[in-house]
Amino acid sequence: MRLAPVCFRAVAFLILPFLAFAQAEPGIPVTNPIVLAKCAGCHPVDAHGNMQRLSWERATPEAWEEALKRMIRANQVTLTPPEAREIIRYLSARHGLAPQETKPVMYYAERRIQDENGVANETLLDVCAKCHHIARVLSWRRSADDWKRFAAAHAEQYKFKPNDEAVALLCKAAPLQTPEWTSWSQRKELPDLTGRWLLTAHVLGRGLFYGEMEVRAGQNDGDFSTSVILHSVADGSTLTRTGHSVVYAGHEWRGRSKGANPAGSAPDDLSSETREVMSVSSEGSLIEGRWFWGHYQEFGFDVRMQRALNGPTLLAIDRRAMKIGSEANRIRLIGDSFPSSIQTNDLTVASGISVRRIVSSTAHEIVAEMDVAKEAAPGKRDLSFRSSTLPNALVIYDRVDYLKVTPESAMAAFGDESSPRGFQQFEAIGYQRGPDNRMHTADDVELGPLDATWSMEVFYETDSANSGLVGQVSSTGFFTPAPQSPNANYDVWVVATSKNEMKKDGKPLVGKAYVVVTIPSYTFNGRKYVRELDRWVEEGQ
Amino acid sequence: MKQMPKMLVILFAISALAFAHHGLAAFDQTTTITVKGTVTEFHFINPHCVVEFEVKDDKGNVQKWQGEMTSPAHLKGWTATSLEAGNVVTVSGYRAKSGAPYMWVTKLSSSNGVELKSFSGN
Repeated sequence: MRLAPVCFRAVAFLILPFLAFAQAEPGIPVTNPIVLAKCAGCHPVDAHGNMQRLSWERATPEAWEEALKRMIRANQVTLTPPEAREIIRYLSARHGLAPQETKPVMYYAERRIQDENGVANETLLDVCAKCHHIARVLSWRRSADDWKRFAAAHAEQYKFKPNDEAVALLCKAAPLQTPEWTSWSQRKELPDLTGRWLLTAHVLGRGLFYGEMEVRAGQNDGDFSTSVILHSVADGSTLTRTGHSVVYAGHEWRGRSKGANPAGSAPDDLSSETREVMSVSSEGSLIEGRWFWGHYQEFGFDVRMQRALNGPTLLAIDRRAMKIGSEANRIRLIGDSFPSSIQTNDLTVASGISVRRIVSSTAHEIVAEMDVAKEAAPGKRDLSFRSSTLPNALVIYDRVDYLKVTPESAMAAFGDESSPRGFQQFEAIGYQRGPDNRMHTADDVELGPLDATWSMEVFYETDSANSGLVGQVSSTGFFTPAPQSPNANYDVWVVATSKNEMKKDGKPLVGKAYVVVTIPSYTFNGRKYVRELDRWVEEGQ
Repeated sequence: MKQMPKMLVILFAISALAFAHHGLAAFDQTTTITVKGTVTEFHFINPHCVVEFEVKDDKGNVQKWQGEMTSPAHLKGWTATSLEAGNVVTVSGYRAKSGAPYMWVTKLSSSNGVELKSFSGN
């Protein structure tokens, strides 16, 4: 009686590599010795070098990292940190995603707030987004067989009925074989990212920063060390940061950096250690993404880097909106390698705008005054310094039609002994109604930040007397939850009232953001939500 | 999958489908009220859309009301301009237990032809 299972196991072990995971689609052979050594015990390799499950899967670095952690947690896989790094590096490169596949789900890796409607089919949202970001699911590519196996195992583990329609949609939306991946994985040479990069960054509530990053090669291919200097356009302050990064699959920049001065106690201190998640453009001349920190990654730099050129480069301007008929609008043009002598005709602006004079200039900044004709049509305009152009950099407007608080939907969290508080910075942004002459439509034109006073309203409260129990918003739009958790969720309006821009009736423009202030942590059916991991874990883990 | 209370799923995403984050405990669901007013703002945002409107009483006094609705994803066919300032709306629903001029909207009709025929869930 005892022999039967043993015999079955022995036979299964022998034939599994050839039969049990036979798939209709060709797999991606696994060749890395560490992956083979550490994974083949449970994922046998067939005669073609295909490893069970893994050869029919592709994913982002974060998804592979999460899968590896799951194997360590659930299957007692033992790995040294260098081994884990090597496995993630190999799988992200050989079983990764092409840039076109990553782009729609980058917000997930960048930890941005995102309305996921429209990201996927409604059925998929209904089935998968009950428990996950849909982007987490779409960070994977699998063969049809593997999606079916994945869905069956998921249904078994979490006790739900598999949804065949959802599985069919996943097979179609996220297949293993795609033209994008075929093309990307066959690239022979990756662009050299070392050297000097020009950088602009926006930080909510702090405005625009500019500067440069020096990228140096690290010990391994795709490893880099970095040093950054950033200047605030708003107050002229300077930040320096150093860090390390890895570029997976030739385009997925993942790094860590921190300020030269130790971060202070303020949660939004710009010297804080950040995670860097960015995408490198296919030709290697542009890198964009987010550097973030905070208990639930609520703080961040929105970063754009372009390779430094030999000639003058226009990077950004300090304000983009000018009113029709206005004169001597002072604009700061931020850039690199501007010549020592600048003339008004070095700047090119489209119809309706004229450059009155150059006020001052350095190698990194030109201050110019511009006039806007009374008959100028509202709309966006390009701005060029010689051959360097910022498309749609300037906006001509007749009036500020409304004020939007951004982010318009947001979260914050109370803290307790084990969970720090989650904060949120807001900005008041002015908008013009756009060519269709209607507000709140797709062609509305963003005019930039407005000076505003800030307040908050707690939903369902008869007056604002109790709002202190929920939190407070500062004069700069920074929301801080109350130090004591009231053990309940609250819905709150964070309200910006413009100091200078009025509605037609003479009352100031007002905008609101909907903020849900949550309790520190949730436990349900023996599982606890761990905010920083963005997933549920068994209690005690 | 283990069923989790709807209010918990907010933790995962600002996914509109996953953002029905609170029940209706704050509202008196035993009584449906109906008020008529003029729209001042419409917020087509997650987690819940909110219409702000002004209601005049018999003496001409104006009271500011807010009507909370489901998420944008559940308001099929609606957009940010479905309700605009100046529209006259008749709104039915459950008033906030606190007594604040705030309601959970179950039915709405607007002078611009937009209607929410019946919606009691969130």
